[in-house]
Amino acid sequence: MTAASSAAPNRTRSRLAAIREAAPHPTRWRHVVGYMIAVYRREWQGSVFSGFIEPLVVLAGLGIGLGVLVGDKAAEITGGVSYVAYIAPALMASSAMNLATSEAAWPILARVAWVRIYHAIVATPLNAADVMVGAITFIVGKVAFAATFFAGVLLVTGIATSPTGALGMIAVSVLTAFAFGAPMAAFSVTQKSDQGFAFLFRLIITPLTFFSGTYFPIENLPFAAQVLSWCTPLAHGVALSRALALGTPVSYIWLHVVALLAWGVVGTVAAIYLFRKRMLK
Amino acid sequence: MTDSASTPTALIRARGLTKVFGERTAVAGIDFEVRDGEFFGFLGPNGAGKTTTMRMIAGVSPRTSGTLEIFGEDPDLHGSEIRGQIGVVHQQETLDMELSVRENLLVFGRFFGMDRPSIATRADELLELFQLSDRAKDQVEPLSGGMKRRLSIARSLIASPRILMLDEPTTGLDPQARHLLWDALQRLKRGGTTIVLTTHYMDEAEQLCDRLVVMDQAKIVAEGSPRQLITEHASREVLELRFPNGTESIDAKVLEGIGDRYERLAERVIIGCENGEAAHARALEHGLNPESWLVRRSSLEDVFLRLTGRSLDE
Repeated sequence: MTAASSAAPNRTRSRLAAIREAAPHPTRWRHVVGYMIAVYRREWQGSVFSGFIEPLVVLAGLGIGLGVLVGDKAAEITGGVSYVAYIAPALMASSAMNLATSEAAWPILARVAWVRIYHAIVATPLNAADVMVGAITFIVGKVAFAATFFAGVLLVTGIATSPTGALGMIAVSVLTAFAFGAPMAAFSVTQKSDQGFAFLFRLIITPLTFFSGTYFPIENLPFAAQVLSWCTPLAHGVALSRALALGTPVSYIWLHVVALLAWGVVGTVAAIYLFRKRMLK
Repeated sequence: MTDSASTPTALIRARGLTKVFGERTAVAGIDFEVRDGEFFGFLGPNGAGKTTTMRMIAGVSPRTSGTLEIFGEDPDLHGSEIRGQIGVVHQQETLDMELSVRENLLVFGRFFGMDRPSIATRADELLELFQLSDRAKDQVEPLSGGMKRRLSIARSLIASPRILMLDEPTTGLDPQARHLLWDALQRLKRGGTTIVLTTHYMDEAEQLCDRLVVMDQAKIVAEGSPRQLITEHASREVLELRFPNGTESIDAKVLEGIGDRYERLAERVIIGCENGEAAHARALEHGLNPESWLVRRSSLEDVFLRLTGRSLDE
């Protein structure tokens, strides 16, 4: 039996142990990334279109089509560059959002509720936090991969004006993926079916592209909408991505970075908390 | 990991183990021990608290109160280390359907921190042991239920755990697949693995378990080897009388006179006795006219009936 004098340090020790049990392990989450890469190796052909080709098709279609329509007025909006060059870096950020949110939707829900392999993983030395950190890291990595391809295309076509800028754009896509993937994962782990996704994608994700400065400047929106827009991550990703592509100075650069990071970090913590709550009943 | 001095061979020790979900008590203060190398069973109907108990042992369900030690440690505080030495097979399949049979094993070995060469060796060994070698490169989805279950067990053994935990391992399997699985489990046990399983099948518990606890309504109602339980709680033989028109009208005094004890079910009367044939003769003397009857040796089913007044499938 524990003596009274040693009860307090014992309690502290067990509280520390309990925290260690709930927190992510420094390295174990990497095995979840490894698992997802093994899955990706089997089905990468399927995702090449959505991750790589589709954004370029959208860019070509909108850039050329809308570019003609906007015509000489383009310069008023874009500050001198062509309309394609104006929307291309923004589309890169918004396709990072699209890829990250869909990767954090069905693939995560399936592993929680349908094939249920997450239930098996939390019964190994990995804990719920390791699973979420690994899953989010994989999503961010997958977006980085697609963004590298996109940035390469923009560099070759001269839309991105410098290799440094192109590298910076990849980093912005990674941040944008983090800012969307983590909160989306937190949403997915609470769902029983995929009905909630239809709602979320139609009402939030898809409209965000239009209200985040992708096709026209946010300043054209009413003031309230502008405020709302800056509260979401995409506007920050678009602002950074565009400035890096065009080589124009960007004001409040750290504010954008911090906003994106904040969404990602809060989303990750929420995902860990909610996932743990669902798995550890 | 230190084993306590009192019973050095106990791998799992629970005292007053309790789990409450809101208003519902799933496990109400149970005590049990699982010893090194034994085949231990939790027998009981659905909802008795077996799965919740398994989840607490596996360190994925924090207990409400009581003490629980696995390898002498508390799973709420040392969950990761404990889980590293336990293989868990869930009631529902939790395999990855996009990966091949072999990849399912390879990926899982990494979660236990094994290096790739040892995982590959172990994976091939397990595929052989569970007769899955010729399906190694196939995807999991089209496999039969029995094969999927064998793969799940193989996967849980990738890191050579000290304890293997199986939750209703043969539910939904056809008789042949069940027997294949039983054989595999017996082999594992002979190899020294401690096995804990839950089941609501009496024959499964009787065939496999060295020792078991009978659970009903969140409590343990009996404990012992299948033989002990039958000797202690049931008579030698059982006479079953079938009355398709119901049993309510039969006089209790008549039933008392036939054997040592009786249980009245909706359409059957089950009579525990020393000699079933003799009891049947007495039943006819008392003027009972069953549609059919049979005499058999007592089983765990009768133990359960005796202890709870209900049959398992009700």
